[in-house]
Amino acid sequence: MAALLEIRGLSAGLQGRRSVTQVVSNVDLDVQSGEILGVVGESGCGKSTLATAIMRLLTPPQVLQSGTMTMNLKDGSAYELLRLSPRALRELRWRHLSYIPQGSMNSLNPVLRVGRQMTDTLIQHGLSQAEAHERSVAALQLVNLEPRLLESYPHELSGGMRQRVIIAAAVSMRPALIVADELTTALDVVTQRQILQELTNIRDELGATIILITHDMGVVAQIADRVAVMYAGKIAELGAVNGIFEAPLHPYSQGLIGSIPRESGQRIVGLPGEAPSPWNYPTGCRFHPRCPKVFDPCSEYEPGLRTQGSGRWAACHLYDAEVVSDA
Amino acid sequence: MRDLLLVENLTQVFGGRNQTVAVDDVSFRIPAEPTIVNLVGESGSGKSTIARIILGLLRPTAGRVLYDGTDILTPDRGWNRIFRSEVQAVFQDPYSVYNPVYKAERVLKLVIRKFGLAKNKSEARVMMEEALRAVDLRPEEVLDRHPHQLSGGQRQRLMLARVYLMRPRLIIADEPVSMIDAGMRASFLNILLDFRDTHGISTLFITHDLSTAMYLGGEIIVLYQGRIMEQGETRGVMQAPQHPYAQLLISSIPTPDPRRRWEEDLSTGPLAEIELSAAMERDRCLFADRCPQVMEKCWGARPTLGPLEADAAVADSRQVACYLY
Repeated sequence: MAALLEIRGLSAGLQGRRSVTQVVSNVDLDVQSGEILGVVGESGCGKSTLATAIMRLLTPPQVLQSGTMTMNLKDGSAYELLRLSPRALRELRWRHLSYIPQGSMNSLNPVLRVGRQMTDTLIQHGLSQAEAHERSVAALQLVNLEPRLLESYPHELSGGMRQRVIIAAAVSMRPALIVADELTTALDVVTQRQILQELTNIRDELGATIILITHDMGVVAQIADRVAVMYAGKIAELGAVNGIFEAPLHPYSQGLIGSIPRESGQRIVGLPGEAPSPWNYPTGCRFHPRCPKVFDPCSEYEPGLRTQGSGRWAACHLYDAEVVSDA
Repeated sequence: MRDLLLVENLTQVFGGRNQTVAVDDVSFRIPAEPTIVNLVGESGSGKSTIARIILGLLRPTAGRVLYDGTDILTPDRGWNRIFRSEVQAVFQDPYSVYNPVYKAERVLKLVIRKFGLAKNKSEARVMMEEALRAVDLRPEEVLDRHPHQLSGGQRQRLMLARVYLMRPRLIIADEPVSMIDAGMRASFLNILLDFRDTHGISTLFITHDLSTAMYLGGEIIVLYQGRIMEQGETRGVMQAPQHPYAQLLISSIPTPDPRRRWEEDLSTGPLAEIELSAAMERDRCLFADRCPQVMEKCWGARPTLGPLEADAAVADSRQVACYLY
């Protein structure tokens, strides 16, 4: 079966006066139907740019440079996201493709009731007032909120409730794909746990696919099925969550997982150095200046994302027999 | 020996008509020997308010803070100068602290000048370089840069270099790592541990992130709606929390291990989030409406913080405010 979303050679950057600075480089990624895919990386690694590119919401100076993105829906229809007209795109968004941007719980309109803000979108997509109301109530129930909250103003709700309203709005059209960027970052751990569990329930109930963008390895370990580790605009490693956490292949994933505090009194080193900014991505492997396992080819050739068997992919010369034997 | 810091019955009430009790009769101590005390709680639990009171930025409604035996609000300029140099703050946002117009070195130079730490320029330079090395920064990489040219981790460590110049006895760190990436976080926390071990500097570490508190060790104080629910040795509390709130909080940490996922689905049931009510009855256990083990008694009067009974499984300095014990 074809993947729900097939991303090929996606590159996006920032338009400067003379040239484009590439932020996301040549990303190949298949998002499987019904999975929760965690996209992790440090700030500035391009994970939010990737999310906005998927939604086709890049705004100048951000530009899309190349690539294709195909969305294959269950009814057999396929959409080439990068070719769609603005009108067709508007149809697709929310109905099939939904986005929860970072910090969106603070973007509810303070002077409109929650219900109005939820039904507006639905009516825009051709539902009647009554249908829209019904859908909104159903969506609120998915996140354990009472229907009477439709009458509330955003300031009457706690942060966790506002985030739930946003999730409810995003899933009210029962989209096939939900892209959520730092969904629980501003919330405390108990609320975070509840919301992530609700998200998992939504996936099960609606059969939706979720791309969860986060910097929190703990969140990914708790709810993701697969993980894509991003570094400096590229996917460094991709695979099932258990495998990545138990035996990360890429030295960057190893560093990222190794820098999680686990126990008192047991010192960890963390990742030395700083992630590069798009203006000075190193040549060769972009991680090589920080890599503890760096060897000759790393500064010269850029490693491609290669399959390592059992659904695991890594972009590292260590796992390329030819390169290793040459060196 | 006198406690380094003694917080006594601190209460802070905000607002006129709709009063909010941000801090409710909180007492704790930081001993004279170098240590790390973690103050943890959700947003709105009063942890930052406590920090601001200790730093003298906010006058409490009731209660007092003694630093080295003296009330921090003592109107004595000489004493104030000592307090200001011995107690240093590190805040959450490593960017807003800096003036973007000046180079990074200015935050260090200012401290050296204001407190007359160096006799001349070359001595000041040596001091700055030593301070930067103490926080794992390379002087040539930061001194001539402007704040926006530094990463969040570098900016926050630069604040620690400034603190290091002062050689304080106590650092009040309010969510210092919440805006730094995971890779850099460990390095920042290691510096605090080094400060304690090699320079005898204590830290009051305020955070909502329990995994960083666990890493730092020392003591932990768990706040909920302005009150202390449980306190004790960090390792012991993390391993075997006794208060139902602490149990909920600690079990909700997203453990970075996909084989140890949350078991119970908390998205429904009595633990589902309560609504914010304007005026809450505070003469009871504040956790009663979410507590899975709630009893009749819990609604009646406020439980006091006390040691666990002698036959309890945990035998540390644990204090819990719960009728179960």
